[in-house]
Amino acid sequence: MTTKVLRLNVNGEDTLVPVGPMATLQEVLRDKLELTSVKVGCAQGGCGSCSVLIDGELRLACLTPAEAADGCTVTTLEGLNESNSIVPIQQSFIENYAAQCGFCTPGMLVATKALLERNPKPSRDEIIEALSGNLCRCTGYLPIIKAVEDAAAALSGKQSA
Amino acid sequence: MPEYIRSGSVEEAVGLIAEHGSSLWIMGGGTIVMQVLESGADYWQYIMGLDGLALDGIERANGSWRLGATATATQIRAQPDLPALAAAARMVGGPALQNAATVGGNIYARSPQGDLAVVLLALDARLHLATADGEQAPSLGEFYDDWEAAGRTPPGLLTAIEFAEPAGEVVFMKCGRRRFNSASVISVAVNVAQKDGKVTEARIALCGAGPHAQRCAAAEEAILGGKLDDAAIARAAAAAAAACAPVTDTVASEWYRRRMVGVYLRRALAQLA
Repeated sequence: MTTKVLRLNVNGEDTLVPVGPMATLQEVLRDKLELTSVKVGCAQGGCGSCSVLIDGELRLACLTPAEAADGCTVTTLEGLNESNSIVPIQQSFIENYAAQCGFCTPGMLVATKALLERNPKPSRDEIIEALSGNLCRCTGYLPIIKAVEDAAAALSGKQSA
Repeated sequence: MPEYIRSGSVEEAVGLIAEHGSSLWIMGGGTIVMQVLESGADYWQYIMGLDGLALDGIERANGSWRLGATATATQIRAQPDLPALAAAARMVGGPALQNAATVGGNIYARSPQGDLAVVLLALDARLHLATADGEQAPSLGEFYDDWEAAGRTPPGLLTAIEFAEPAGEVVFMKCGRRRFNSASVISVAVNVAQKDGKVTEARIALCGAGPHAQRCAAAEEAILGGKLDDAAIARAAAAAAAACAPVTDTVASEWYRRRMVGVYLRRALAQLA
């Protein structure tokens, strides 16, 4: 088995990681770097629980061979936490009871962050579409959508209704 | 597990494909390849990534469009002048998946995937394939025939997809299990040109109704040359439902798909009547 050493910038830190053939970015982030906000849900690109940012773009770690991310900047929820940039979104999720079991929540937060970076004042339909790749089996989605609406309003300086 | 390899140029990639044959699998965005590997299949010795080859450009010049093979669904859905193709790209998985999924990969996707391919068939797209014997430029329909005949071994490296600015109106419709992020039950794409109240050109393609996206000649013949009225549309819908060959899988049954081919083709053509 050939092991390759990858150079990744993960959550702001340059890291050298040895990986086996066709290891997924999901495996590397969780098992080698202990970034367990990256969940293993479907491992088929259908549930969004492994959502991360690769060079700032929303991607699925399960469908990304680690070697394809060689040289890239990878941001997980842990990295967003460090910069505190995710706090208003997390606060809104708490206030709206937008998490029950919490398994989908890291992916939801990363996808929400990616949405609000691109579109700070999304409509309800835009929120629904932006989170369409993230499945939640507990909440029925309505509290999550409300949380994102409130977070967008808070971040863009408006008072939410 | 297979080894992940990259090539430094199209020429090098073509050499690797010729050298390794069916033991090499070409990966665009990874949305198909990684799913298959995750399922436990590892028949391949090499997975060749296309990152670094800069094949993701989208160009429009002299009345034709050229999509680089690794242009993503996100890039395509941002093209307002390609509304049918953009609508199909918007229906590919969720946004994170769209950031990875490539138009070239969609052509090789197994049914019922292939929502971009179905529109490209309706647009009469031509592929640019770099092979060891030089460049080939088959129509997408010809490509599928050759590909099936060759046991689904790619003839070379797909570098770009080209099609003329459509003369007629193009409509894409998808029947999915959810509004977004859902595999297709079926999808249809129609490209119809009309003059003096008569259909002069018709391209009708179906996805989820055979081993890959394909044109439906029986439905095209049902509307060509006449007025696109309710009777003609009903004939085309019935012809497509009769001629198609869907499968039963976890998304939908053969029976349901056949019914939906008729329903969605009727709805798509009704938009042009």
